Amino acid sequence: MAERPREDVPSEAGAEEAVKIICLGDSAVGKSKLLERFLLDGFRPQQLSTFALTLYQHHARVDGKAVLVDFWDTAGQERFQSMHPSYYHKAHACIMVFDVQRKVTYKNLSNWYKELREFRPEIPCIVVANKIDADMKVTQKSFNFARKLSLPFYFVSAADGTNVVKLFNDAIKLAVTYKQNSGDFMDEVMQELESFDLEKKSEDLSDQEDSSPEEKPPSS
Amino acid sequence: MACVAKKCGVRFQPPSVILIYKEKDKFRRRVMPVRNFSQFSDCGVAAEQLKNNPRHKAYLEGVSLRQLEKLCRLLKGHLGGESLAESLGKLQQEETIDPEEDMNKLDDEELAKRKSIMDELFEKNRKKKDDPDFIYDIEVEFPQDEQLESCGWDAESCEEV
Ligand SMILES: Nc1nc2c(ncn2[C@@H]2O[C@H](COP(=O)(O)OP(=O)(O)OP(=O)(O)O)[C@@H](O)[C@H]2O)c(=O)[nH]1
Ligand SMILES: [Mg+2]
Repeated sequence: MAERPREDVPSEAGAEEAVKIICLGDSAVGKSKLLERFLLDGFRPQQLSTFALTLYQHHARVDGKAVLVDFWDTAGQERFQSMHPSYYHKAHACIMVFDVQRKVTYKNLSNWYKELREFRPEIPCIVVANKIDADMKVTQKSFNFARKLSLPFYFVSAADGTNVVKLFNDAIKLAVTYKQNSGDFMDEVMQELESFDLEKKSEDLSDQEDSSPEEKPPSS
Repeated sequence: MACVAKKCGVRFQPPSVILIYKEKDKFRRRVMPVRNFSQFSDCGVAAEQLKNNPRHKAYLEGVSLRQLEKLCRLLKGHLGGESLAESLGKLQQEETIDPEEDMNKLDDEELAKRKSIMDELFEKNRKKKDDPDFIYDIEVEFPQDEQLESCGWDAESCEEV
């Protein structure tokens, strides 16, 4: 588990809120570099199947409460597309990145966004313009993708660090808020109620579980 | 030896790498023939041999292997009948990112090549954790209001959503 010196880690992990934040975007837009910049060396990523998926754990505090954050980072390469369903599973927020130097990566945002919404129709999503150090002039231009969808939009640089910490801290806050207020939470309450009910007639259990597409177990 | 590499280049006949360096406030020139070199030679190997050559080693300390390899590629291009402009063009192309390329379709090796080209600028602009002026949390506001000039990338992409 990654432990950062600047946060005080709660003694019992059970007291923590836990959220999952996923990163999306084309190959080489800088998703991994952004995470590394945010976590510095306070992380020990867990790497699965040749870079297709990297998991980072991070301890944060939101409104004085300890939050355990799982960052999921996947490769943009198309050959990893088949694993996406499990990637989206139970995510609480999404960071969607493009490279200000490459138009294709901006154009592709709409595809990433469409896929995200198929699996997670409601979760907060932040649009991120990375590599502004390469060309500061882009920060004087308007990028309408985020505005049209009313999504938060950040100019950042993983190289010089501009707005990286703010981006991730805001994403964590959004994820926590979503988890606390969302249908997800309701789903869990409902399931709780159902399981009370089902203790008596347990034959129905399988039917009930299949009814929610968002709660499918990862198809690994 | 206190010599600082300043510039390097090539001489085609005989195939040589030329180094301009500074030693005790004086500029000097060193000609280093690339031995047994033909249009079929491996430029990576030739560059390494040059760099490790006991007679040149000290002078080439400040010259990267990559730079030497590029110079050898110019020599090789010439031996293969290319013009200097052609050889330079090829080198340039391999070192720049094609902004239109869809990198999601590349295999690992090709993607790694693109990333190593990107790394040059990344490392140049990078503020490292150990730098004395490193600041962890840098916040800069870039307001996105209506008056801004468009990035020019929006034409179709927004309609699709
Ligand atoms: N100039 C500059 N270059 C950057 C920045 N962030 C990333 N890069 C460069 O972009 C390259 C790709 O970054 P990665 O973090 O590997 O990209 P990724 O989105 O994780 O890519 P995949 O995992 O392949 O999908 C790096 O090798 C860096 O050279 C940045 O803020 N500025
Ligand atoms: Mg990556």
